[in-house]
Amino acid sequence: MADTTAATQKKPSSGGLLDPDFMNRLERLEIISRKIHSARNKGERVSKRKGESAEFADYRNYVSGDDLRHIDWNIYARLERLFLKLFLEEEELNVSILVDVSKSMDSGEPQKALYAKRVAAAIGYIGLCNYNRVNLYAYADKIVGFLRALRSRRMMSRVVQFLEEVPIEGKSHFAAAARQFAMRHTQKGVALVVSDFLDKGGFEEGLRYLLGRHLDIYALQVLSPEELQPELAGDLRLVDCEDDDVAEITVSRPLLDKYKANLQAFCESLRDYCNQRGIAYVMAPTSHPFEALILSYLRQRGLVR
Amino acid sequence: MILLSWQTALLVGAIAIPLLILLYFLKLRRREHRISSTLLWKRAVHDLQVNAPFQKLRRNLLLFLQLLVLGAIIFGLANPVMNFVKRQERNIVLLVDRSGSMKTIEPDGRTRMEHVKDAAAQFVSNLADGSRAMVISFADRANVACSFTDDKRRLERQIREVEPTDACSKIGEALQLAVAYSASLVDERGGGGVPEAAQRGAADIELFSDGRIADADEQYVTRGSMQYYKIGEAADNVGIVAFSARRHYERPGMLSVFAEVENFGPRPIRTDVSILLDGRLLPGPGSIKEIELGPAAAPTSGPARPDDTAALASRQTVIFEMQHESGGVVEVRLSRDDALALDNRVVAPIDPPRQVRVLAVSDRADVRWFLNREFVESLEIKDFKLMTGQEYESAPDKALIAEGRSAFDLVVLDNHDTARLPPGDYVFLGGLPRVKGYARGEEVEGRVLALWNESHPLLRSVGVDRVFISKWKRLTLPEHAVKLIEGEDSVVLALVTEPGHRYVISAFDVLDTNLPLQPAFPIFLQNAVMYLAGGGLLDEGRLIRPGDTMSLPVPPGAQNVRIDGPDGREENLEVQGRHSMTFAHTYLAGVYRAVFDDKGRTANAFAVNTLDPIESLITPNETFTIGAEQVASVTGQVKVNEPLWPWAAGAALLVLLVEWWIYNKRVML
Repeated sequence: MADTTAATQKKPSSGGLLDPDFMNRLERLEIISRKIHSARNKGERVSKRKGESAEFADYRNYVSGDDLRHIDWNIYARLERLFLKLFLEEEELNVSILVDVSKSMDSGEPQKALYAKRVAAAIGYIGLCNYNRVNLYAYADKIVGFLRALRSRRMMSRVVQFLEEVPIEGKSHFAAAARQFAMRHTQKGVALVVSDFLDKGGFEEGLRYLLGRHLDIYALQVLSPEELQPELAGDLRLVDCEDDDVAEITVSRPLLDKYKANLQAFCESLRDYCNQRGIAYVMAPTSHPFEALILSYLRQRGLVR
Repeated sequence: MILLSWQTALLVGAIAIPLLILLYFLKLRRREHRISSTLLWKRAVHDLQVNAPFQKLRRNLLLFLQLLVLGAIIFGLANPVMNFVKRQERNIVLLVDRSGSMKTIEPDGRTRMEHVKDAAAQFVSNLADGSRAMVISFADRANVACSFTDDKRRLERQIREVEPTDACSKIGEALQLAVAYSASLVDERGGGGVPEAAQRGAADIELFSDGRIADADEQYVTRGSMQYYKIGEAADNVGIVAFSARRHYERPGMLSVFAEVENFGPRPIRTDVSILLDGRLLPGPGSIKEIELGPAAAPTSGPARPDDTAALASRQTVIFEMQHESGGVVEVRLSRDDALALDNRVVAPIDPPRQVRVLAVSDRADVRWFLNREFVESLEIKDFKLMTGQEYESAPDKALIAEGRSAFDLVVLDNHDTARLPPGDYVFLGGLPRVKGYARGEEVEGRVLALWNESHPLLRSVGVDRVFISKWKRLTLPEHAVKLIEGEDSVVLALVTEPGHRYVISAFDVLDTNLPLQPAFPIFLQNAVMYLAGGGLLDEGRLIRPGDTMSLPVPPGAQNVRIDGPDGREENLEVQGRHSMTFAHTYLAGVYRAVFDDKGRTANAFAVNTLDPIESLITPNETFTIGAEQVASVTGQVKVNEPLWPWAAGAALLVLLVEWWIYNKRVML
């Protein structure tokens, strides 16, 4: 523990997940939420809600019932009209990261689970650096491990340790895991789901549970190049690594075309579902450089700033 | 197109095709592959099966291609051939020409012999199953290269081993052999179960040649049919067609060499003719002569005849005269690269000049006087000797024999029968050699001379019609005697050639004729000196054609002889106790040397020259006539029974490659 503390004085350890240079760059980012939340604790985060911080935001006309304490008397003296002085509200943000650690994430080159863990570590680090309340959940058919209410970058080592130690196994059942999450997690905030969403039970139910908590949801779909452009040939007996389900195929051009069409349709259905419900959907092939995903792509999609 | 081995193909197809289809029905052994989720794959397979009801059929494109490959292989196994020539007769005799003209270099750089071999080998390789064939190669003589067999590889091997000779082409013996072997085949097969045609012994004769065959019009095909395959294209050739070298009759130191050069090609040519002695060009002018020859007339169809060529070509005679006092090998050469090199060179061994030696044997004074007058005064024979019969019989061997031969170039015996005949040339005037096969019969009197051969060198310019012969004796002579003068039913004058000996035998006594009083007598004696003694100066008998038998006298004491051929090959023969020896392996043109192992190491040279206008006329005959019958001929490139299996194999390979590509590329229509 002393070791960890000493390390956090300068730079928190990230294990093999993040390199120090990249962490430096992450420190400059912050997680934003597109929604107005009512956090219980004041935080460092500037909320969209106008509040009572020292930082001036705007004026507005006085309407009856407004707190008289916020009337700007200097303006009244000059203009003889009542204006209310508005200040920025600074609040604490809840950042929940759900990482899929089912067996299906254990495939691909680079491994999808590793990619997902690195994304989780990076987002978690950004949140910790900005004194957000970071919650980390690993799930397969249920939530298999979590870290809750982490604040400050000193907690980074725990995040890393958690991510490194969590086993990649089990079937994926997003709906069950999301339901469990929703029951435990009542605060509003940002929820990032990192998964391949290749769940035979579907993704809709799980996302619905999250939506029910009025979270600002980001769905990051991680797919390996083997899934996007399968390099298969011959007569194969495909075995599902999660449930040992078997599909017998004879690889042919039409079959591959059909597979790709199905994959695209699947991704599009996920994206459409997300778009219709205000969920930000991000497709992340593992072949795509991880740093670029965080530094530019997620920035564009509005998760970080 | 016809399938030669369709039964085999049917059998293989009946087994292989159902087997292949059966393999397709067997459950595929699939490779296991673990993936993250089968979700999308299952959906894709399901979609495909739902959306494409003919998917099963489509998947079978590979099966279709494999069937196609198998089909092509089976087609190849069926041994399909194009331009199939169907034969009823299944006994085939291949006659392969290996005469001198087969050494022609064709425009593609290969010899005509190789083309002949290729065509014959191709023919053999495409024989229908069950056919039997034999190979006879022929030049001046025929040789069975391979007797009847159905082993195609053996036939091909034997065809490949046929080598060309320098000899002329004569087909007669080959045809006799073909008929004889076909007949023996009938005896062999005899029993039932063989085709009727084979029973009859008829064999198809396939002639692979350029169609220039000397004796074609004297032959006929008795059984079976004949087909002629025209081989060769080259026509450009200039050759020496006649040659002689002789010393001047009166001045033996003077050598006259005569050569006749003929152009057989279609274009006029200009060439140098040079004379060489012992391989060296003679110094001084006159040893190289330039000649111009017009083109040969268009080749006539039909068999080549010696007189055809006279009309075809434009000839020119070249004569070289030089002073040459020693022996050696004289050579006339054409300095021209044409298609056939064989006829561009002739050689002849020559002896140092010497005087003609003539011996006359007579007991009668008047005949002695006549002989002495003619030989010494008219013919100016310087070395002339006269003996009586008794002197001749009692003379020591040394006086009559030199180097195993008669010491005289010519011996004239008047009314004297003798057994003392060392190898040499003899004129018997009313006498007979005391040798088996020669006998005298009853007298013929008061008959006229019925026939005489004035074209023979012995009777040239003699004027037999002015000679009167009152009586003569009937003679019994060997069958090969050449009759020079004949009465109505008896021989009057004959020439008999035996190994080592030549006899001119007259059935009459000179004193029973007016011959001694006629100019015919000295002319006849001169002809005898010129012809038998070769002018006494150059032995014409030492120039032979390829394949001819050379007869050489054996010196006393010789046990063995070594004969060095023109190609450097040596042949050792035993000659012990013989007066003369024969040598028949004269298939190559050039100078042969016979060296005996007697004390004096006697050496004898003789030359083999082609000198055959028929071989020199290399333009192939378009058609071929044998006897009066035109033979079906196949001209141009021989394209009979062209095998199609390589195409089938190629197609199979191609489809296999396409199938492999499709299998790997997963391209499916």
